[in-house]
Amino acid sequence: MNDSAGRQAKPRSESSEQRRREKIQRLSGELRTEQRSLWSDAWHHFMRHRLALASLVALVIMSISIIVGPAVIPYDADQIDFTTKSQPPSLAHPLGTDELGRDQLIRILEGGRISLAVALAAVSVAMTLGVLIGAVAGYAGGLVDNVLMRLVDVFYSMPGLFVLILLVTIIGPGFLTIVVALGILRWMGTARLVRASFLSLKEKEFVESARAVGAGRTRIIFRHILPNALSPIIVAATLGIAGAILTESALSFLGLGFQPPQATWGRMLQEAQRSILNEGHWWRGVFPGLMIFITVIAVNFIGDGLRDAVDPRRTQG
Amino acid sequence: MSRYFIRRVLQAIPLLIGITIIIFVMLQMTPGGPLAVGENPAGRGRVTEEDLQRLRNQYGLNDPMYVQYLNWLGDLAQGDLGTSFNTGLPVLRMIGERLPTTLLVMGLAFALTLMLSIPIGILAAVRRYSFFDYFTTSFSFLGIAIPSFWFAIMLIYLFSFQLGWLPSVGLTDPRADHEGFSGLWDRVTHLIMPVSVLALTSTANVTRYVRAAMLDVISQDYVRTARAKGLREQMVIWVHALKNAAIPIVTVLALELPDLFIGAVIVESVFAIAGMGRLFIESANLRDYPVLMGVLTIAAALVIFFNLLADLLYGALDPRVRY
Repeated sequence: MNDSAGRQAKPRSESSEQRRREKIQRLSGELRTEQRSLWSDAWHHFMRHRLALASLVALVIMSISIIVGPAVIPYDADQIDFTTKSQPPSLAHPLGTDELGRDQLIRILEGGRISLAVALAAVSVAMTLGVLIGAVAGYAGGLVDNVLMRLVDVFYSMPGLFVLILLVTIIGPGFLTIVVALGILRWMGTARLVRASFLSLKEKEFVESARAVGAGRTRIIFRHILPNALSPIIVAATLGIAGAILTESALSFLGLGFQPPQATWGRMLQEAQRSILNEGHWWRGVFPGLMIFITVIAVNFIGDGLRDAVDPRRTQG
Repeated sequence: MSRYFIRRVLQAIPLLIGITIIIFVMLQMTPGGPLAVGENPAGRGRVTEEDLQRLRNQYGLNDPMYVQYLNWLGDLAQGDLGTSFNTGLPVLRMIGERLPTTLLVMGLAFALTLMLSIPIGILAAVRRYSFFDYFTTSFSFLGIAIPSFWFAIMLIYLFSFQLGWLPSVGLTDPRADHEGFSGLWDRVTHLIMPVSVLALTSTANVTRYVRAAMLDVISQDYVRTARAKGLREQMVIWVHALKNAAIPIVTVLALELPDLFIGAVIVESVFAIAGMGRLFIESANLRDYPVLMGVLTIAAALVIFFNLLADLLYGALDPRVRY
């Protein structure tokens, strides 16, 4: 079990527990006092949540544009027009066009739709697997737990991107393949988290009382224990979305994800590579990457804000 | 300690076997085997059914799955990863040609991560809430969210297209003089961008952990005692505090290695470097099963080895850990 301890010892972010402890020490004058510490501390907290809030706003705006965009923009994502090929950003094409004259803005919105859909679906697969396996392992204990946790170890030691490449090239790229492949490679963290929660929760009095009034095993797991273990799962799911977006873009970038003419952010970057290197068409590279970057960082901030919000004493998740 | 060491190493073997079984089954269950080209209607006429049968027998593809797996495992135990369907060369030799390149890029990126993240993380922790600290924390947040391939493309635009300072393809220039200093310089200029791209995410990540670990330690009693004794601040931070912060830092660093290995696949693709990642993608497209199995096994073995290293270092460094 030492390996799990080692991995979980990674603090995801600076713990609020530790911040509190330090504040107390500082206030009691045990350490050298810094006069602005209290205010900076408050500012620190405030910034955190303000960033999470701003990120949420950014993602909502992005989602609305993805939905409304195709109705407002007078171009089609796959509409080839050689009269407007490789144009830098202009009023007609705010983000420029590619070498087939396709409007980059509409392609970016189209790519965002795919990226977000894949990430949400993949995280749902991963969460379902992780929660089920973690819950069964934690609740059953003993041999079942041991076998399932070895399975977690095996999956943790698989070179993820390699297996993903293998599945996608051999089965053939498609929405379902990519979602399922991403899902089965990212459930292990959640399984460990859920198992740990279940191990401690199943000994609590409320579970005993549920059992005493005759609740069945499934009911106890899903209705009584799971709701109490939910907050770390929510945080893990949020942060998982960021990872899924990055992995899906990387796969598309390697030319192994969705196939042309389907626009995805990773794919647009792959197609842009040559024209940036040879012709210096910077707009083809800057914007799709910026979208990945903004989305990932926004999701990360929201995850961090959620972590602080749902359980301020949790040190990691 | 040595008993623990042996036990951990022995545990790694069934883990590796478990992974190879899963990958083997995955490969077998997927449609379109290595002979799919011949089975394809378009390939008919040129490849007869007898040819296919002969090839299947030759490569043992008619045997039951478990026999094929045990044969493969038996060969592996003798240091034989089989022969490529595509090139006819031993898989081990093909990997042997590519692995050093990947390890070179990865090793340099790891060294860069070490050199940057440890001093920066410590300084940020010591000067907590300073401008430098906010700058570092923001940088690490940005660094873990930047997709490495995008960062690579932006670097190529700036340093290859605009400034023309650095080459963007391969690890050497075939036209360059490979002798002496200019040969070395050629290699260095080719490595700067791939190594920086690969090191970015791990540097951002490790810096955060170094900062957090140092913050944990700085507020401990023995650090206060060291200060109370009148030791110089340099001494307190770099000797007393760092020694104790080293335990989580070393673990995080070792856990960074598998990510670097996997990240190298993407970097090799952007900069057209012939390493393990490219070999793997090429083989996947050709459905060259022996090479795929070989690369995956080596990659899994490396991941397991790095995880084991993190575990053992943790145990060796922390005297409180007992077995």
